[in-house]
Amino acid sequence: MTFGSVIERNVARPLMRLVTMGGAPILQQLHLEERLLRRTSDNWCIVNDGTAPPTIVMGVSGKVSELVKIRPVLRDHVPVVRRFSGGGTVIVDQGTVFVTFICNKTAVAGLQPFPRDIMSWTGQLYGKVFRGFGEFHLRENDYAFDHRKFGGNAQSITKDRWVHHTSFLWDYDVKNMSYLKNPQRAPEYRQARDHSDFLCRMNEYMPSRSVFTEGITAALGEHFTVQHTELEMALSDHDDFVPSTKVLSPQDLQDIISSKEAPTVERVQGWPR
Amino acid sequence: RLFHAAAVRWGSRSLASDASAAREPSAELVEVPLAQTGEGIAECELLRWFVSEGDQVDEFQQLCEVQSDKATIEITSRFKGTVHQIQFAPGDIVKVGETLLKMIVNGSQVVPHDSLASSPDIPLGVDTSTSPSREGNAPRGSLSTPAVRHLVKQYGLSIDDIQGTGRDGRVLKEDVLNYAASKGLLQEAPSALEENVGQVELPEGGKPLLDPHFYEDKSIPLRGYQRAMVKSMSLAAKVPHFHYLEEINCDALVQLKASFQKENKDHDVKHTFLPFLIKSLSMALSKYPLLNSSFVEETNEVILKGFHNIGVAMATEQGLVVPTIKKVQSLSILEITKELSRLHEMALQNRLSTNDITGGTITLSNIGAIGGKFGSPVLNLPEVAIIALGRIQKLPRFDDEENVYPSSTINVRSLPYIHT
Repeated sequence: MTFGSVIERNVARPLMRLVTMGGAPILQQLHLEERLLRRTSDNWCIVNDGTAPPTIVMGVSGKVSELVKIRPVLRDHVPVVRRFSGGGTVIVDQGTVFVTFICNKTAVAGLQPFPRDIMSWTGQLYGKVFRGFGEFHLRENDYAFDHRKFGGNAQSITKDRWVHHTSFLWDYDVKNMSYLKNPQRAPEYRQARDHSDFLCRMNEYMPSRSVFTEGITAALGEHFTVQHTELEMALSDHDDFVPSTKVLSPQDLQDIISSKEAPTVERVQGWPR
Repeated sequence: RLFHAAAVRWGSRSLASDASAAREPSAELVEVPLAQTGEGIAECELLRWFVSEGDQVDEFQQLCEVQSDKATIEITSRFKGTVHQIQFAPGDIVKVGETLLKMIVNGSQVVPHDSLASSPDIPLGVDTSTSPSREGNAPRGSLSTPAVRHLVKQYGLSIDDIQGTGRDGRVLKEDVLNYAASKGLLQEAPSALEENVGQVELPEGGKPLLDPHFYEDKSIPLRGYQRAMVKSMSLAAKVPHFHYLEEINCDALVQLKASFQKENKDHDVKHTFLPFLIKSLSMALSKYPLLNSSFVEETNEVILKGFHNIGVAMATEQGLVVPTIKKVQSLSILEITKELSRLHEMALQNRLSTNDITGGTITLSNIGAIGGKFGSPVLNLPEVAIIALGRIQKLPRFDDEENVYPSSTINVRSLPYIHT
């Protein structure tokens, strides 16, 4: 042990508040994240272990008709949510583990607030988490074991802060994947594989979800002083905040089918105050 | 502050033809392009505007939000000015380099086109505080870093009024302070701290050492620039620090220790370098008491501590401990040697008392004892400085006649907090 490290563990690291949830609806999680991003100046890590009901989550833009099979979605009443961050479309359920980092742009020394830099830094962080469990790679914007994706990422960068959030496939239901179309814009390494060949499940690589979440806390501890924060504390205040993450109503979806034009729905309007 | 859109002014002065621009004869119409957002990203989708045509905008104000692959990104304004014409609508795809909007700005904010880097690979208008190598993109008229511009705002000044003495006419912090002084704005800090420092005198003879008033703490409230700087850094939840690394010739120290050893008749006392360094530190603290202080965030005060309670890092089987030697300014080197030995013995036996390990005002980390050249010290809050000592090594050095001679040197790395 070096002299520096003991003192280092307790001082001169920015605080990061860790909020853990289990099974929280993804809409609520996204509302919370956007509020913490825009209305606080703290660093946060949100971990949501599983979600219900199974929900399709789309990026801020992107054409519904190109990414989602709308008729089965309407028939089976699958909720469709458009989130405030960029990126692609996923369907999330009890097998999904969400991990989100919300940081001030000065929180990590030397990290520049650009998409690629943040993607690379989080990739390194997760590299430590997954060491020994599988051959972990950051492939373009995905987390993969070998060539199979198990984590999808999205970001939102504001004037002074950034969000990087990931949906991890601890497990997934092939049936659910069938609501999604293969996107036109896909990472090169996907090589036109369909979901079952392209994706993998984390539970085939790690013994338990808690091993995963504990690994994240440990890895974060190298950069932050991690403080467990109760969800109630994170939810307090900011009642006037209007989040931009929205549910697409069945009518919205019906309109898209009718128009056959697929204009982007529910574009974020105005400046959230 | 992210993604300032750089401005391009076309060759001939092109003022807007409408009446609003004509009211300001020094106004320029600038085209604000989409800056590079990442390697290989050639285009972004415009998501939404935060401003409308005719709006006044400030420097750093959000203009619009774009999507670049997986990220939504807020674009902020490089300039203070008026939005003249918006070129894209939400949903449009904008290529990097294409004009997002046109703005009417005060002419001194704009840099001539030919002096801007025109290669598309160079991120235009990236904030200088995150990448100092790109400072060259700042407008010539007010070339400066965001920190300096912030200081200007603190004093309620306009950067255009300040003459820059740095490279390329860059406005430096000293230029701002000199200008503020000339305007009679500098009655308080940054001089306040230095004034108080000047009042502390080096002890003359033994008298002050016996005077209890000599050991009292003194408190200094932070004002003005220091206050703002500390406040903003505290908000970022990060202790501001800088490293200072010096290699010190300690031939004289080696001789001094040797002479002590020669004179030593007490077999229980073993002379090492550390007590000499501890005493030297204390003498330096008398001259620079700011390094022997603690910062109280709640009241924004710096407390100059009366005692020199020097903590010495020690390794034990249980881990790192930092016992303190109290009131070093009143101790002789022999007394320090004995106290250090006592603390070390207690530490090894896990018998340090609470008093032994509390009350420190500055820390010395002697990594040399375990053989490393120098370590990486981190602050022992609420102290404001820590000093790491490397091993004393014999290294070849050049004398004035350029002959090589062996010299004992020690690497000293310090990490002070407030660097006024």
